[in-house]
Amino acid sequence: MTGSSDGFSRCTIVPPYLLVRLARVDDPRLAAAAEAARRSLMRDVPIRELRAAAHPSPPSAARPGVRGGAPPVRGRLDRAVSDAGGLERLPGRLVRREGQPEGADPAVNEAWAGLGDTHSLFWNAFERDSIDDRGLTLEATVHYGRNYDNAFWDGERMVFGDGDGQVFNRFTSSLTVIGHELTHGVTQFTANLAYEGQSGAINESLSDVFGSLVEQRSLGQSAAEAGWLIGEGLFTDQVQGVALRSLKAPGTAYNDDVLGKDPQPADMAGYIETEDDNGGVHLNSGIPNRAFYLVATALGGNAWETAGQIWFDTLTSGTLGRTVDFAGFARATSRAAVTRHGAGSREHEAVIAGWSAVGLGGGLGAGSRAWSDIAAGTGTASGHVAVDPVPRPE
Amino acid sequence: MKVVVSRSGGFAGIRTTWEVQVDEQPDRSTWAEMLSGLPWDEVSETAPQPDRYVYRIRCAPHEVVLGEQQVHGPWQELIDRVRGVNEGH
Repeated sequence: MTGSSDGFSRCTIVPPYLLVRLARVDDPRLAAAAEAARRSLMRDVPIRELRAAAHPSPPSAARPGVRGGAPPVRGRLDRAVSDAGGLERLPGRLVRREGQPEGADPAVNEAWAGLGDTHSLFWNAFERDSIDDRGLTLEATVHYGRNYDNAFWDGERMVFGDGDGQVFNRFTSSLTVIGHELTHGVTQFTANLAYEGQSGAINESLSDVFGSLVEQRSLGQSAAEAGWLIGEGLFTDQVQGVALRSLKAPGTAYNDDVLGKDPQPADMAGYIETEDDNGGVHLNSGIPNRAFYLVATALGGNAWETAGQIWFDTLTSGTLGRTVDFAGFARATSRAAVTRHGAGSREHEAVIAGWSAVGLGGGLGAGSRAWSDIAAGTGTASGHVAVDPVPRPE
Repeated sequence: MKVVVSRSGGFAGIRTTWEVQVDEQPDRSTWAEMLSGLPWDEVSETAPQPDRYVYRIRCAPHEVVLGEQQVHGPWQELIDRVRGVNEGH
């Protein structure tokens, strides 16, 4: 070894793309090597460069419309679905790429369609080109593990288990789950919210919100028509429950003699302090979930067009701190509503009312009036403005 | 001696707990050997991954919290055995 200690980028015994591949290996026998690769990568290369190495641009022939140095076509959908074959190893065997025909495996087909629906929401509603806004390939792995009752985002791909058949069906069967997992990728590339405590619950809530919006847009449902459920159909018919979570009525999605009752709180009075689940990220997410539902239904129409846009603006504003709390996030949505629709607008008032109903309206209402006064030229220079139209870190 | 495995998180966010009274097991010496051989003090913190399970494993005086991605080798073996006793296989 002749290189300096500050990086393989100048002394590349192991090429970056191989380190990326090794870092993603989920084989227990290679755990130490994978961890070492991850440490090397995190020490030496910014994450976006790693992703570029992990997902090199295909030859121009594989990208219609791209020639030589021409900029890539924005909004072009690129998917890849792999099959873990019942093992807990990633990524598994690649079974479908863009341009290939549909096969017989329902899990592959559901993942494929779900990736497309999710890409369509972010591109057509918000003009975001894939999770990184640079056309990153959407990657999924199905048939992960045996009787695996879960789906997750590992920082690179969505991973889906088949369920045990007794409590859970396969996790690709609900479009909201696919949208949820992909949104974790969008969050990772934008606000990168820390996955614990309140920022973790916001991270979870954003995935539920946009997961629900993917389904609503796919089905052509207005806010009033939507079910606002996450994971509808995931439970087998042996479970007493309609879904895993409800944005409309957190805490009511299931009530089963084996699983117990849906534990999600619907407002801050029910906030759960716990060390489990990274500080209750899947529990307290019910609070911002309900706030979004209230905003969306108050505004009416298609939820992705107005309420969804405000939440998307908030997520991508660049003003959210990684550890933002509920109150800070509420303020950020209020600012986003002001920026897009104006202070005191119907949309701004709906956001304030939504957060107020879950116990997080403190300061937002007063801020609304103060900002409205200022906008109307009646405010005072010394007045407190809780809704700050100028982006600032939360 | 009791060993308790609590799994929280996951997409569903449903908490599940399994426990074993080691002294009541027919192969309690094997259990005791396994528990004493676990790398209790070698668990490092790791960044949580969205929707992955979180395992809390307790066997007084020890307690560790492991992300699902850290569960392999002896930890995987322990969890499998504890679940096996609880689920009757």
